[in-house]
Amino acid sequence: MAREAGVLAPRARAARGLLTAYGLFIYVFLFAPIVLLVLFSFNKNQYGSFPITGWTLTWYHQVFGDPVIQDALRTTLKVGGWVTLISVVLGTAAAFPLVRAGLKFPAGFRVAFTLPIMIPGILIGISLLIFFRQALHVQTSPTTAIIGQSLYTTPFVLLLVAARLQGFDRNLERAASDLGANAFNRLRLVVLPLIFPAILAGALFAFTLSFDEFVITYFIIGGYNTLPIFIYTQIKYGITPEVNALAALVLVTSILLFSLAFILPPAFRLARRGIRSMRGHREVVREPVAVTEH
Amino acid sequence: MLKTLWMGLAATAITLGMAFPFSYWLARYVRPGLQKPLLVLVIVPFWTSYLLRVYSWLNILGDTGVVNSFLKWLGIRHQIVLWLGHAHDQPLSLLNSRWSVVVVLVYLYFPFAALTLYSSIDRFDWDQLLAAMDLGASPLRAVRKILVPQIRPGIVAAVIFVFIPILGEYLAPQIVGGVDGIMIGNQIDEFQKYALYARASALSLLVASFIVLLLVLFRKSLSVKEAYGA
Repeated sequence: MAREAGVLAPRARAARGLLTAYGLFIYVFLFAPIVLLVLFSFNKNQYGSFPITGWTLTWYHQVFGDPVIQDALRTTLKVGGWVTLISVVLGTAAAFPLVRAGLKFPAGFRVAFTLPIMIPGILIGISLLIFFRQALHVQTSPTTAIIGQSLYTTPFVLLLVAARLQGFDRNLERAASDLGANAFNRLRLVVLPLIFPAILAGALFAFTLSFDEFVITYFIIGGYNTLPIFIYTQIKYGITPEVNALAALVLVTSILLFSLAFILPPAFRLARRGIRSMRGHREVVREPVAVTEH
Repeated sequence: MLKTLWMGLAATAITLGMAFPFSYWLARYVRPGLQKPLLVLVIVPFWTSYLLRVYSWLNILGDTGVVNSFLKWLGIRHQIVLWLGHAHDQPLSLLNSRWSVVVVLVYLYFPFAALTLYSSIDRFDWDQLLAAMDLGASPLRAVRKILVPQIRPGIVAAVIFVFIPILGEYLAPQIVGGVDGIMIGNQIDEFQKYALYARASALSLLVASFIVLLLVLFRKSLSVKEAYGA
């Protein structure tokens, strides 16, 4: 808005300067905790805090050498893998009726599907705990944690895939049908390739959410550790630089995973378009992606 | 119960109070090309684990944390501690109070408020503001009378998006709240620990119904799904 700055001289400029300073302050506020955490993980000081007495990788060595952490990592990955699989299958399947079945109260269904995102984790965690223990009489374990986390991650996949299905041109399926494709082939050759970027984003989302999930998991995983739960149990004994190092690793991993969830699906589309243009035009009929992607 | 509502309202008010000038700045004074990247930057901390975002505040507010070391380094910690009525030079205890919980809550939910507010301020026609000022309104008055009424749905959505998760907050009070900062979520956990399942269920149901009620009442303002990053 350069134009107004010229019109409304000094006071407007002062307001602008003040607000810019404030904007920068907000970024400091948002990033300081995270940056400090990473900084302290390289600090020689064994209290994991100021002053910074020198730089070291000792804490990272400790993290990688710790069998309890290795065990927690294995559990985290196992739970994350299953949660991803379950929520992708359920979420994608549920997106179809939500978008296409002509339900009577679409808004109601949408709200119902997104409730697990809006309901606080503590309520989901404790209600599942009571449900498993008092109603089903099963022991809590990683399996129950997988069920609980899937409850929370599935809506994310559902929303992503549903958004993609909404913008889907159904004439493509009709065309495929005219050309002799049966329902299974229509799904396999036309629909799935088109919604694949959304499924991929959903899978990455589900895995990252599971990787970071604490509150639900804490109540229903029994005696097992995932990485967040291990960190939480350590906090009780005070902050140590080793936990800072583990926390920094987890932090960077989840930022990377989330960035992938945003970058990969569009990149995937671009790459596929690139391949198609190299193959030439005759392939267009077999690669329906070509028709809709602009 | 009441304390949770009170803390939730305080945290929501502070979050919105901080997010409004920020979104205003972003939408009005930042070059359009830079706005989206800067907005993504606001969400990046949100991509990290919720546990770790709470945990990182221990490094800042703790007895050997950043604030304490900084004040000590400035040489004024002693004065502050004495002024607060302690006899000896001891670390300033910033943790384990309802205030430390409010600070962390503001930090946790700032991105929700900023995103929601930005997306409604972004659609605002700035010429209307200029016209109001041409007609003699002071800038603040112009913002209050012209901008705020037009983005009211955005403000309502931001309040809901911040207030709802705070109602069910468990971890922040657990880690930085101590006895003073306990909230409904922790109370439910206490009941469950002592096998008072009926009480735990009743309180959970109460909170859940309240949330659903809020969602239904304000459903018109809440079509902004992207606030959850999805």
